[in-house]
Amino acid sequence: MNEYIDLLAYFGIGSAHPGGASLTRSIFEKVSINQDDLVLDIGCGTGQTAQYLAKQFKCSVTAIDHHPLMVEKAKRRFAKEDLPVQVLLGDAEKLDIESQTFNFILSESVISFTHAKETVKELARVLKEKGQLLLIEMAAEASIPKSMKEEVQKLYGVHDIYTGEEWRSILEEAGFATIEEIQTHSSLISSDLDEMDLSESIPMSLYDVWDEHNEMTEKVHGHIGYIVYLASK
Amino acid sequence: MNASEAYNMCRRYHGRHVRITDRDGRVHEGHITRVDRNMVWIRPQGGGGYGLGWGWGWGGGGFGYGIALGAITGIALSAAFFW
Repeated sequence: MNEYIDLLAYFGIGSAHPGGASLTRSIFEKVSINQDDLVLDIGCGTGQTAQYLAKQFKCSVTAIDHHPLMVEKAKRRFAKEDLPVQVLLGDAEKLDIESQTFNFILSESVISFTHAKETVKELARVLKEKGQLLLIEMAAEASIPKSMKEEVQKLYGVHDIYTGEEWRSILEEAGFATIEEIQTHSSLISSDLDEMDLSESIPMSLYDVWDEHNEMTEKVHGHIGYIVYLASK
Repeated sequence: MNASEAYNMCRRYHGRHVRITDRDGRVHEGHITRVDRNMVWIRPQGGGGYGLGWGWGWGGGGFGYGIALGAITGIALSAAFFW
């Protein structure tokens, strides 16, 4: 497991994606989910968004993450909140789920950390006809110097950094018919962490990773931002 | 996190806005203003925050209030950007 992902897991950082929980909430003022929809939160982390969706829309939510500690923290959250969210350990590139299961899939800075093309195809597979995929993902804003790209890939364990246009192509190739951009103020705003679920023992090396990440955030400013797309099959 | 690790982390984040959790499950937020071998002092911003009545020794200025290093279970920067 990449150390940056470990950092998110050990510190139990809620809504670890660009824009944080406030961006998620603002998106769901525009995008709505029906009560009888089956929703997948892929790469759910500690489950802050899954909790929000289950409460807000009373829909059925399945939350999947690749990191055992995230799964543990998410399970604890739903038990405590007494919410019927199903939490599974799983790999976004290869889900142990039947085709055409979900009406709505949410990926909040998750696909970027996987082999994007495989993952988008896999998500398209488990999505019903006319289903929707909402993604908030890292995106190249301008040409990225090769050395910077390599540093980003190494620190975050990402395989590639796509432009908005490249994200569109990946979605189209996977069979998404329409792709709508949800307008947000795409800048890397550091926001108040409104939620942390710290593990009792946190490896000191992860504090170094946090520092490296902070430096990197400043360095990539103007080169890497994020996109928010709502893609429909 | 033991007291020695807490000391090192407080030194590292001196002057920065942090979020500290303690053994009683309380969360303290503020700027680290002072660290010694036993205590860290944080000055909350605005008067938000929760968990403590910070009447003693803190009147909107100075070092803020102290937290015993041995009571600290976690420290993290309280504002950050994450992918």
